[in-house]
Amino acid sequence: MLEVKGFSAGYQGNDVVHDVAFHVDPGEAVMIIGSNGAGKTTLFRAMCGLLPPTSGRVLFEGDDITGLPAERIARLGMRFVSAERHLFPRMTVQENLFLGAYPRRPDAETMSIVLDLFPRLAERRRQHAGTMSGGEQQMLAVGRALMSKPRLLMLDEPSTGLAPLLAQAAYEALGVLRKGGLTVLVAEQQVPLAMAFSDRGYVLENGFIRLQGTTEELAANPSVRHAYLGVT
Amino acid sequence: MSDRLASGTGTSQIGGAEARASRSLAGLLIPIAAVGAALALVPLWLGDSRVLMGVAVLGLAYACYTIAFNVIFGSTGQLFLCVGALAGIGGYGGAILADTVGLPIMASILLATLAATLTGGLLSFVAVRRSLGVIFTGIVTLIFSMSFDALVLGLSDLTGGDTGRLIKSGADTFLRDRIPPYYLMLALVLVFLLAHGLLRRSHVGWAFRALRDDEVAAELAGVDVARYRVYAALVGAAMLGLAGSTYAFTEGRISPTTYGFGEVDVVVVVMLAFGGIGTLFGPIVGAVTFTIVDETLIEFGQLRQVAYGILIILLFLRLPRGVIPTVASLWRRVRGLEGLGAAKSTDSAAGKVEAVSGEARSAE
Amino acid sequence: MIANILDGIVLGLQLGLLAAGLTLVYGLGGVLNLAYGQVAVISALVVAFALDAGVPALPAVGLGLLAGGLLGLLLDLTILRPVYRLRGEARVLLSLLLTLGVSFIVDGFLNWRYPLEALSLRIGGGAVDILGVPMRRGSLVASAITLVTFAGLFVFFRYTSLGRAVRSVIEDEEGARLVGIYPNRMLRLILVLSGVLAALVAVTRSMVTPVDTTSGLSITVFALIVTVVGGLGNVAGALLAGIILGIINVVAADLIGTYISLIILLGAAAVTILIRPAGLLGVKE
Repeated sequence: MLEVKGFSAGYQGNDVVHDVAFHVDPGEAVMIIGSNGAGKTTLFRAMCGLLPPTSGRVLFEGDDITGLPAERIARLGMRFVSAERHLFPRMTVQENLFLGAYPRRPDAETMSIVLDLFPRLAERRRQHAGTMSGGEQQMLAVGRALMSKPRLLMLDEPSTGLAPLLAQAAYEALGVLRKGGLTVLVAEQQVPLAMAFSDRGYVLENGFIRLQGTTEELAANPSVRHAYLGVT
Repeated sequence: MSDRLASGTGTSQIGGAEARASRSLAGLLIPIAAVGAALALVPLWLGDSRVLMGVAVLGLAYACYTIAFNVIFGSTGQLFLCVGALAGIGGYGGAILADTVGLPIMASILLATLAATLTGGLLSFVAVRRSLGVIFTGIVTLIFSMSFDALVLGLSDLTGGDTGRLIKSGADTFLRDRIPPYYLMLALVLVFLLAHGLLRRSHVGWAFRALRDDEVAAELAGVDVARYRVYAALVGAAMLGLAGSTYAFTEGRISPTTYGFGEVDVVVVVMLAFGGIGTLFGPIVGAVTFTIVDETLIEFGQLRQVAYGILIILLFLRLPRGVIPTVASLWRRVRGLEGLGAAKSTDSAAGKVEAVSGEARSAE
Repeated sequence: MIANILDGIVLGLQLGLLAAGLTLVYGLGGVLNLAYGQVAVISALVVAFALDAGVPALPAVGLGLLAGGLLGLLLDLTILRPVYRLRGEARVLLSLLLTLGVSFIVDGFLNWRYPLEALSLRIGGGAVDILGVPMRRGSLVASAITLVTFAGLFVFFRYTSLGRAVRSVIEDEEGARLVGIYPNRMLRLILVLSGVLAALVAVTRSMVTPVDTTSGLSITVFALIVTVVGGLGNVAGALLAGIILGIINVVAADLIGTYISLIILLGAAAVTILIRPAGLLGVKE
């Protein structure tokens, strides 16, 4: 479904991500793990059209989407939930969700699926997004992305700023979505969380993909265990 | 030679500035003297026509205003859109003090200049205290300009309102002759240039450059940004008051259009942008060019405004740094000296405008 | 006094609607349009010419509104292109300078070609009594139209999909892009809208007092002041600021005198900006 080849991107002439290649097949849950500054956010932003890549290709369902503006890519069935979430603070939960479906009218069925998944959002329908807690905002960000019935959901560090229980709950919700057939690509610093959720993964270090494999393979890999799982 | 051009556009090298200061007083005086000498020849050419000499005197007045604006905006990035109003405080203040209150001309000019200075300082102080950015400083000073205009129209007993007033003081002196006012204004221009030049070479000038380049870094380095901003405003406002009042006495009559926003501020901004924001001689280049252009196009009347509009657009899209830095760049490139660091204008006002145009062009 | 307050409200509503156009463009696109007054003036002239040519009133006004919208579109397609490649303060500064240039071109041309043209819409019928004050029909119709327009704007932004989309760009541009909203298209829409609003204000203003070719600059400056006092990007703020400043203007003019009242108005605006730079209803960053 998603294929990335020879992909490099960065800021003002300096590449942060170098020659990255990976793929995501339909129905999979794939993780990109790495520590702070590894380049995960830059990679995702460049893939989604928020940042122009320096080289490489991104193919989504066979179509070349490299360098397309973010708003165009968002309408193609690939939705990105950034680490900062970028909600609309003075608009209500309901309005935020409605906008997720733009330009289509919000679909009652999808709306109820999202609200079932995140009951807290249903309770706070008329609350302004800016006044909600971190966990609720994360739920809203994911819910908003889901309103467009995307085929691929990309999340950049969904556990950011969330207490462990909430981060856990977030991933559980993602798990439910996966069972419904959603393909998920997640970038994550908190590796155990990502591993419990994903089928496959890539390790990003200093902008390069160093390792790849199934979750089991990566979990067994000694350098991964040492660097990311705190095993000496 | 390239040194002089380089010092004209200013850099933020501390050691370099001090070194330059000690060895280039001549480097400052010689070009100013040259400009003075060149401009001093103008009456030989135009001296027979009262009208044309009047235009020349006005041109010099604008040069003074532009130098002052350069000190305020070019040095410290404060967008004071009240140049006309501050000059007007000098002009109307001087006229009222001399005619209505009866003070001698010199005293009137001095007091009016003082009033303008304090006003400018106050505006800057307020802007600094409230941390107003460029845009808001512009808006607040614009409001001040409009208020001054309304005040002049409102106090018509004192100011002559819409039609303006004649200034009786000095009517029989050399101030109203054809040629002496020109040299008087020219003297002011040269003094202002010298003052600006000396300021740049002093530690105050160093502070100005530091705070233009990076305000935060300057604060951390111990530069009291607020204080230097107010200093620049005081100096600039003093220049405006002095020029405005001197000009009023040489003209003999003033009206709201003498110091109006559309007539003064807009023109001054364009003159400076054309000549080169932050450069020493930019104001001269701008004022001379525009006075000539305006006079040449005089028969087109209202259509001149159309020309100026087109000019503003072209200027800010294509030539944002102004003539002097662009010419200096070309010169250095011709001499093969580009890339040796130095004279790219680092002043954040011009820098912003340059970045603006540069980005706009590179993205085309 | 009541008469003054009512007159102040009439003026204030128009100032508010005028500022609404300017503030939306700033809030959405980070662009200051100093050619705004010229858009209003050109639209007024279009209506005046149409009326002279024998076009009946309503279609003539329609043409004026159309002209306003087209001018907004024209600005977007031409002079603002280089501005869009920038962000933040640089964007505001360049937009300000380029639109200032445009305003000169238009102002110079209009004053050269049509120096004596003005638009004045006379609304027939006697004065109507409001709260014991005889109000001219022109003022009442103008105010009614303005109020209806504000109501329309409110409904648009609150309850329509497109209106929500516009608001979302003002709230968080990146977030809007991530849900598939095109900020540039929204800005184009808002520029057209602001042009129509400018035209509408010119038309309603002409019901109260003539709008002529020299009005351009003062329209822009007043719009700018009300915009800043109300809070950049805030339509409700523009309305509130407009009404307050309108009342102050009329009351002070009556009690003291035109010019001094103008100073009071400007002073009030300056004080508001200094005390609360974000504006009356603006959001503190």
